[in-house]
Amino acid sequence: MSSDAEKEFIEKARSPFSEAFEMFRKNHAAVAGLVVLIFIVLAGIFGPYVYPGDPFEMVWAPFSPPGDEGYFLGTDYLGRDLASMLIHGARVSIAIGLSAAFLTVFIGITIGALAGFYRGWVEEVLMRITEFFQVLPTLLFSMVIVALFGATLPMITLAIGLVSWPAVARITRSEFLRIRELEYVMAARACGVSNGKLIFKVILPNALPPIIVQAALMVGSAILFEAGLSFLGLTDPNIVSWGQIIGSNREYILDASYTVTVPGLAIFVTVLAISLVGDGLNDALNPKLRQR
Amino acid sequence: MNRFIRNLAVATALATAMVGSALAEAHKKGGTLTMAIPQTPRHLNPAVQSGTATGVPGTQLFAAPLRYDEDWTPQPYLAESWETSDDGLTVTLKLVKNATFHDGKPITSEDVAFSVDTIKANHPFKTMFAPVTEVQTPDAHTAVLKLSQPHPALMLAMSSQLMPIIPKHVYGDGQDPKAHPQNSENVVGSGPFKLVEFKRDQHVILERYDGFFMEGRPYLDKIVMRIIKDGSARAIGLENGELQLSSFENNVRNVNRLKKADNLDVTADGYAAIGPIDWLAFNTKSSPTADKRVRQAIAYAVDKNFILKAIMLGAAQQANAPIHPGSPLSDNSVNAYDLDVDKANKILDDAGYAKGGDGMRFKLNIDYGWPAVKPQVEYVKAALKKVGIDVTVRASADFPTWAKRVSGHDFDMTWDTVFNWGDPVIGVHRTYQSSNIKKGVIWSNTQQYENSRVDELLEMAGKEADPAKRKALYAEFQQIVAEELPVYWTNTLPYHTISNKEVGNPPRGIWATSSPMDRVYLK
Repeated sequence: MSSDAEKEFIEKARSPFSEAFEMFRKNHAAVAGLVVLIFIVLAGIFGPYVYPGDPFEMVWAPFSPPGDEGYFLGTDYLGRDLASMLIHGARVSIAIGLSAAFLTVFIGITIGALAGFYRGWVEEVLMRITEFFQVLPTLLFSMVIVALFGATLPMITLAIGLVSWPAVARITRSEFLRIRELEYVMAARACGVSNGKLIFKVILPNALPPIIVQAALMVGSAILFEAGLSFLGLTDPNIVSWGQIIGSNREYILDASYTVTVPGLAIFVTVLAISLVGDGLNDALNPKLRQR
Repeated sequence: MNRFIRNLAVATALATAMVGSALAEAHKKGGTLTMAIPQTPRHLNPAVQSGTATGVPGTQLFAAPLRYDEDWTPQPYLAESWETSDDGLTVTLKLVKNATFHDGKPITSEDVAFSVDTIKANHPFKTMFAPVTEVQTPDAHTAVLKLSQPHPALMLAMSSQLMPIIPKHVYGDGQDPKAHPQNSENVVGSGPFKLVEFKRDQHVILERYDGFFMEGRPYLDKIVMRIIKDGSARAIGLENGELQLSSFENNVRNVNRLKKADNLDVTADGYAAIGPIDWLAFNTKSSPTADKRVRQAIAYAVDKNFILKAIMLGAAQQANAPIHPGSPLSDNSVNAYDLDVDKANKILDDAGYAKGGDGMRFKLNIDYGWPAVKPQVEYVKAALKKVGIDVTVRASADFPTWAKRVSGHDFDMTWDTVFNWGDPVIGVHRTYQSSNIKKGVIWSNTQQYENSRVDELLEMAGKEADPAKRKALYAEFQQIVAEELPVYWTNTLPYHTISNKEVGNPPRGIWATSSPMDRVYLK
């Protein structure tokens, strides 16, 4: 092997992240999704400074069409500024999406890793539990949780997390099943590395790529889930979220369709952007696709 | 005796009117009326079940001693005449002689006595017949109600919605009347229509009872009541002519849309006795709403006009007092608490609730029990922020959760709708009498309002036979509660009756469709 080729090989091997970024960048749809997503997140973070007031405040005549009196998205049935609600809602919707996805990944990885690593009766028990959660109708189950324990933000997040984790658990388990038999794991085991270290330091980092992709998509589905619950009225009425705007305005769809379509579009665009980014991550992180 | 003669005169006038209209041949006979009802009734026997879900089909199946016209004037129905003794302690009903139940057996005073006993023992409105000590039956067609005190509310309580005459030989078989199998099937009624089929979540089908005691009635051959829960589906059905009648419609957007349809008549008339009033209720025992000034300030800060115009879209009537504005006993001269934010702020300042650093004086919760009133609750939150009250909206997962909170007195404010049910004794007293503070019972005095003068006035008005004196007592009562505001009344529920133009005589009395529809016909 010539030294040049060797050097190139080493460089390639040393920079998996730059390589992944390269892959990601080649996916134009994913880049577009990322740009949109960054814009929405920035709007969620800084928007409330542009619209500092209480989004629940009634500012103008109800059902003023977009553009009326400087309210560029118009007002809803109580005369509240729709633009202000949308911006404040972005924060809540994205926060719910992120925290529910985090919860999902946390539960899913814990269960999946334990099941995949220890196998035997641990796997039996944990996978039966996973299957139990998997066969529950998700929307119904989360509705029951919210109805029983109250429609507060943490409870809605918990409900979404509780019904979404089985997918992550199964992916994690399958990755663990695959990786635990690989030679470097065998070697680590032979060196006497403790189980905890094997799970968290040796196997998990190598199992992460598909989980990251799943987690990214989970953010989108959590936002949709929250919107669904809000639409059914299972939401904290003191907090604006996109789903809540749709839910409380849906009765007026014939009189003022923009009150429903604008937040609906916001959800659509956000979830689409997240999906595109997730797709791009999948391309970038999947080693089998690297040479494509 | 005067009253007896006057009643006879009314009866005669009515008979003349009937003959007159028969001559004009305005009422075509026959045909099937297809109407919508919004929910499945628990069963069809209004003697042991309150509410209009049971009342609408139930009042077709069962007749009552009296019926009412649009002016609150009682008219003969099963009772061809009635008389109240001068001391007000005896009410004598003379029943029509040819009336029969749907199984052909005659309707007698025994059945009236049995019905009163059954209602008294099982109906949730205890005050309706509480003073009735005994029903005597001197002969088959005379029923004498003996009262422990004069009880003017009895007159309205003798309507079909509240006092259906049920057959003793069917419901007196020893079974629990509330769970009697014939409440839902094989109903043996006394009214103009008999039951063909009651299918839950599907329909109630009624057919003309040929043996009905009123000559020539009912005009319709059949009524099909389709159970359609979705208001938009009912609206579409009415628009395309699939449904010819729907009542108790209170989605103002649908109502306003249907008002524009050429083939439909839309009216808000006919709900005065049902008397539904929307209000903001206060917990008068928990701080700071225990302070009358706080309640008054909230009333000044909440704009009735906004609710009427923006939320009710002009389809509801303003309500300022505890008695429905359509009732002759209502006193609309009370303080209406027109919007005055400065005054509200001043009252709160003077009462010592100073604004804190964040511009807020104190926090309050507001509850609501069903999704339709969420806009009102959100509005109250936004409106009270302007006077420095930080309101948190508490959602309840379902109606029972809300009912448990409110009846358990675990609330600061709540939006509520309460029905007058004809006479104030039946539907109004319960909210303001201190004796009706009953933990765990929804629509009792959940505000825990106590005022001995109010208790006294209601007690007196309940047994005052003279209409003018009674009205005066209720006027004083309304002035007091409008000053002390245990609840802040905003508007009547915008109930509407929507009928196709081909429907003649759509029910317009004070009980809407919870009254016999024997005069309804198809043009």
